[in-house]
Amino acid sequence: MPRFEYLFRETTSGLRRNGLVAFAAISTTFIALLLFGLALLISRQVSLMIDQATGNVEVAVYLSDPVNPDTVSSLTETLVALPVVETVDFEDKEEACARFKILFRNQSALVNTVDCDALPASLRVGLTNPEEYAQVAAVLGCGRDGRCSAPGIDQIVDQSAFLEKLFSITRVFRVGVLLISFVMLVSAAILIANTVRMGLFARRKEIGIMKLVGATNWRIRIPFLVEGLFESLIGAVAAILVLFGLKVAFINPLYGTVRFVPWVSNSDVVAVIPWLLIAAAVVSLLAGLVGMRRFLDV
Amino acid sequence: MISLQHVTMVYRNGTTALEDVSVEVDKGEFVFIVGQSGSGKSTFIRLLLKEEDATKGEIYVAGKNLAKLTAWKTPHLRRNIGTVFQDFKLLQDKTVFENVGFALEVIGKPKHVIDQRVPEILDLVGLSEKLNNYPDELSGGEQQRVSMARACVNRPLVLLADEPTGNLDPSTSVEIMRLLDKVNRIGTTVVMATHDQAIVDAMRRRVIELDKGKVIRDQARGVYS
Repeated sequence: MPRFEYLFRETTSGLRRNGLVAFAAISTTFIALLLFGLALLISRQVSLMIDQATGNVEVAVYLSDPVNPDTVSSLTETLVALPVVETVDFEDKEEACARFKILFRNQSALVNTVDCDALPASLRVGLTNPEEYAQVAAVLGCGRDGRCSAPGIDQIVDQSAFLEKLFSITRVFRVGVLLISFVMLVSAAILIANTVRMGLFARRKEIGIMKLVGATNWRIRIPFLVEGLFESLIGAVAAILVLFGLKVAFINPLYGTVRFVPWVSNSDVVAVIPWLLIAAAVVSLLAGLVGMRRFLDV
Repeated sequence: MISLQHVTMVYRNGTTALEDVSVEVDKGEFVFIVGQSGSGKSTFIRLLLKEEDATKGEIYVAGKNLAKLTAWKTPHLRRNIGTVFQDFKLLQDKTVFENVGFALEVIGKPKHVIDQRVPEILDLVGLSEKLNNYPDELSGGEQQRVSMARACVNRPLVLLADEPTGNLDPSTSVEIMRLLDKVNRIGTTVVMATHDQAIVDAMRRRVIELDKGKVIRDQARGVYS
């Protein structure tokens, strides 16, 4: 391994030499990684909201009144026997009421007018694969409309339909941001490759001498790779700081006012950091290798 | 130390630079490669450095078959070979000390080795007083001595010199030749490509003459023509 002092000197002199191009590379990396981080946080936010709204349950089997405990246990057995069924939980009227009150706590008029006894008890069914809703419907003898012929069942509801709606609204946004961040990452890679190439060109005489006296190719390459890595990591650190800033500025005020929705927390932002650093490292190393390929094939 | 067996070098554009060249150079020899421009002198040097691979034939340098040497191992071959060129190839933004130390630094020698060997070798080439000067503050002869110091600082087995006196006036050239002779006397094999007739005639060393890529003369204690 080259000595640290040598690496540091080579890297900083490289940054000073083509400062403007380095700045372009750093700022593009910053924007690309900021958008990438935003996309990850949006995904996290959506999944938090889905967890809250559905309690991770894909199918609700609403039971008709009055609920017979024997019906509950026989239906549970039938459902558990299905391989696609992961969990079956019985939710009685009181629990349904409590959940209803939480979900609509900001609409007190609604909560006050609804009688808890009007809410049906249900079996909450978790599936290994939400696509397999039809199997559940079939085994309970229910039609496509959710109406069932089996005694004791009022109707079954496929909540994945609701999830689908939520997903489709956020998907456009998420994919859009990811796409822009991808394009930005590619531009960042091109700019980093360019700084590396300019550095190589500016020092082609030095590199020629290094080769003549028997420096290994990696000793010649590593300072340039480190320079690219350094640029992209500066961009990544800036992106992380700004993500925290955005979270504090826009999400923190919501904690108090919109209480029933779980918002992304600091730990969610922290969880994004390794991904941004990995993306920065991969992009800059690839860019560096591509940028120097033509110059070092001796 | 150096062995070429039926070496032919044809460049990609079809030019034949060397044709069926066979040469043996023993350890500690001093050899002039002479011939007109385009006779293949520089190609000869480039092949020994493995900057190019021969089209045909086998080349051994310091016991290694160059055709079988991987790109990975090539730098280690070059650590055994010092090189001196007509244009000195010094880095203008580095001092004399740094230029010579650079050759050790980039092959990973620790600082204490650099601090010990660089002044030693600069003393040998007579530049102890100019450690901290930059190349553009030196005369041509002094610059070539710096490049000789750089070539020798890693104690190579072979010193390759491609027209080392090509940019120097006759009296400075003599200085450089004295230095090459000195390096040769401490056991380094020296191969020098040149078309400087006066120098070759004065040194009376082995002369290999190339013409259109062929060896037309190989003479111990020879003269230019």
